[in-house]
Amino acid sequence: MIHTIKIISQLAKPLTPSQQGRVRGGWVAALFAFLLLLASCNGIPEDERLIYVEPTAAPQTPESTETTDTIETPDTPQIVQTLRYVLIEDFTGQRCVNCPNAATEIEQLKDDVKTLLNVDAIIAVGIHSGPLALYSRGNILGLRTEEGDAYYDHWGIEQEPIGYINRRGGISTVDKWSTLVREAIQQLSDVHLSLDVSSDAEARKAEISLEIANAAATDGYVQLWITENNITALQMMPDGSANQTYLHQHVFRRTVNGLWGDAYKAEAGVRDTLTYSCELDEAWVLENLNVVAFVYNNDGVQQVTEAKLNQ
Amino acid sequence: MKISQKQRLVVASILFLFAGGWESVQAQEKATLSGSIQADVLVPQEDTKIGAKKYDETALANTYADLRLQSRYVDAGARIEWNQYPLPGYESDFKGWGLANFYARARWKTGSVTLGDFYEQFGSGFILRTYEERSLGIDNSLRGAHVLWNPFKGVALKVLSGQQRHYWKHNHTWISGADAEVSLDEWIPALGEHGHYLTLGGSYVNRYAEDEDIPYDLTHRLNLPEMVHAFDVRARFQTGGWNLLAEYARKSQDPCYDNSYIYRPGYAAMLSGSYSKRGLSILLQAKRSDNMSFRSDRTVNGTSSMINHLPAFTMDHTYALAALYPYATKTSVKWDKNQKMLLDVAGEWAFQAEFGYNFKRRTPLGGKYGTTVKVNFSHVHSAGFTPRLLDGQLKGSDGYESSFWKWGDETYYQDLNVQLDKKLSANWKLNLMYMYQRYNKTANEGEGGMINSHIAIGEAKWRINNKLTLRGEAQYLFTKDDEGDWAFGLLELSVNPHWMFTVSDMYNVGETHNHYYQAGATYNLGAHRLQFAYGRTRAGFNCTGGVCRWIPATKGFTLSYNYNF
Repeated sequence: MIHTIKIISQLAKPLTPSQQGRVRGGWVAALFAFLLLLASCNGIPEDERLIYVEPTAAPQTPESTETTDTIETPDTPQIVQTLRYVLIEDFTGQRCVNCPNAATEIEQLKDDVKTLLNVDAIIAVGIHSGPLALYSRGNILGLRTEEGDAYYDHWGIEQEPIGYINRRGGISTVDKWSTLVREAIQQLSDVHLSLDVSSDAEARKAEISLEIANAAATDGYVQLWITENNITALQMMPDGSANQTYLHQHVFRRTVNGLWGDAYKAEAGVRDTLTYSCELDEAWVLENLNVVAFVYNNDGVQQVTEAKLNQ
Repeated sequence: MKISQKQRLVVASILFLFAGGWESVQAQEKATLSGSIQADVLVPQEDTKIGAKKYDETALANTYADLRLQSRYVDAGARIEWNQYPLPGYESDFKGWGLANFYARARWKTGSVTLGDFYEQFGSGFILRTYEERSLGIDNSLRGAHVLWNPFKGVALKVLSGQQRHYWKHNHTWISGADAEVSLDEWIPALGEHGHYLTLGGSYVNRYAEDEDIPYDLTHRLNLPEMVHAFDVRARFQTGGWNLLAEYARKSQDPCYDNSYIYRPGYAAMLSGSYSKRGLSILLQAKRSDNMSFRSDRTVNGTSSMINHLPAFTMDHTYALAALYPYATKTSVKWDKNQKMLLDVAGEWAFQAEFGYNFKRRTPLGGKYGTTVKVNFSHVHSAGFTPRLLDGQLKGSDGYESSFWKWGDETYYQDLNVQLDKKLSANWKLNLMYMYQRYNKTANEGEGGMINSHIAIGEAKWRINNKLTLRGEAQYLFTKDDEGDWAFGLLELSVNPHWMFTVSDMYNVGETHNHYYQAGATYNLGAHRLQFAYGRTRAGFNCTGGVCRWIPATKGFTLSYNYNF
């Protein structure tokens, strides 16, 4: 150890005057070279900033890509893989000034996927939650729910807007959603879902029937939610203004079957029909309500579907 | 995060160095072993009135233990952190425990080599500043190698390379850099002989990051530059009581989350001048910055992974109500995706002026003991810009044009404060402050409009006897905006040599009528310091050194322990 230190000390002794002159000159020359090098850093021009990514081909299955009509008839009992639809859980809040940008991104993604695949393969749910969301108070119509807050706390969310795409790859900021959606729609699903929903306006009740067909063994959970479109309520906008007439879409209202759904297990080739009933709040507009149903496990959302309450 | 096999090997190497260094210097001269322990604990309680939430854990704590060996030729050190149940308000990745920092340094007369974790700042930090700030949860140290060399008098060279810490991992990018400073007064003897000192400096920092998939839309992704270059040049001139600093920094294309993935290069320029002589000080500063957020991970936001630091150019206030609305340099772009409108850019002008004067004792204005007056003015303003989008989109475009002198429409922050320090008698001291503050809450926090406040502060200290000192503060903030008026009162009794007792309350007069009370005691014994308190803390921003962190409201018992040896 002592010898090593001595060697380093020898190498690092102060320079003689002639050595100093040479080093000074070398330093100035290095500085010039460095500045020239930097001057040559021109950057990426505008017409070279985008790289084309091959869009996914529609799955090569005999059936159509609609989850609602891929159930086989008794004559042809084989269930095959189908397109996996994409669930976007958009954690948002009425006081979140950047959240309208996330809503616009969702609409853009829906349009892009429809153009690509010719189906509405994206199902979004806006979960108003956390300190940037509002409970109803006085004249303010709040869209925040306790169940939404439970999901917010469970996923460890710290900021909004933030999203979960098919519950894979972790929660992510809006800038990454296109990539995650692109990856999601390239995957096929072994699960077919079909919803049949009816409602009783007088009793404020919905009756839900969910058919599940499994192309392979499934082990996970079935979750159903009620969402509502076209809610006019306050929303803070990116410019800091308060928009009192903002139209909120696909707002999470409540779960049908508990916070984390019901455990579900089935063998390949099995078809099941699950039935639920759900109370509908007086404040909700029946014509704007939807039921979202999805099957998920540790590998993410396996399939998702959506149906209007009043079909 | 437990201590991994690799870390065990490193610790063993450091201990070996310790042992070797210890042995070698024992033979030559004394080595110093020093360190510290810091633990901050909160036993939280739910309080729905102030928004203090319930926690599953009984107690939350941040704990740090440092050990340092210093000798003539060899230094080494390590730090263990235990933040498995961290205090509220830290980012989720902050949670964890393990060996957070370790290094070994060999030193000789003209330089040093450091292996392991190190901190460094080039110039004012415009292109590189790595530091630790525990209250903000910031530790952006680099892990790699650092060389410092003073080849001859007046020249200091630094070269470094490493990966930046992001909580309990290191970002996969490489940060490399070099810095040179030349004190011309050492080369030109006439300068030094006349008391003129001129230092020139130049720095370069490079971030290498592999390509990644940042989408433009469903069928396109961005072509990202793998190398981002930043350079900084500066000149400092000092003569007599005068001190002048001019600095300019530039960064090449760096599309990232902060700037919404635009390709505009960034820059920062600063001019600072000060004059001081006995009883008088003047400071004038101006800064222009544009798109200078520089991180070791393109997609990260929040308080982590920052390579550089842009000072806020506003006064760091210590009085509670003066610090209610703190400012930090804007580094992000504001975009309305639906309207396809660029609302604000990551650029600003900042000015600061300070004048201090001491009226001598036994003069009419100075009184028996003298009086010090300080006036400080700071103003931060938006820079004008013209959007330059690409096919109507911000991502992938140049973002905007903003010429250096272009003045924007918005004031981001302004404050004018006048402070008076006066010793009234042998036992009484008085500090008074008046402040007029303008804080653009929309620009800084997203919404809330402009908050105009008048703040009056009085602080008195009474030395009762050799053992007892009583200090009191009374503060009032007048505003028609945000939550309205605030009042603050504090009493602090010091009982020498060991004890201090504090009681305070911050009360929202205007809207919520919430009391944020605190009562506590501090005990000092040698190198040990123990603080115990109970009360409420308000939700808000903790801004230290120009970086802000959102702190949620809390209520409960707090315990802090510090030990330095």
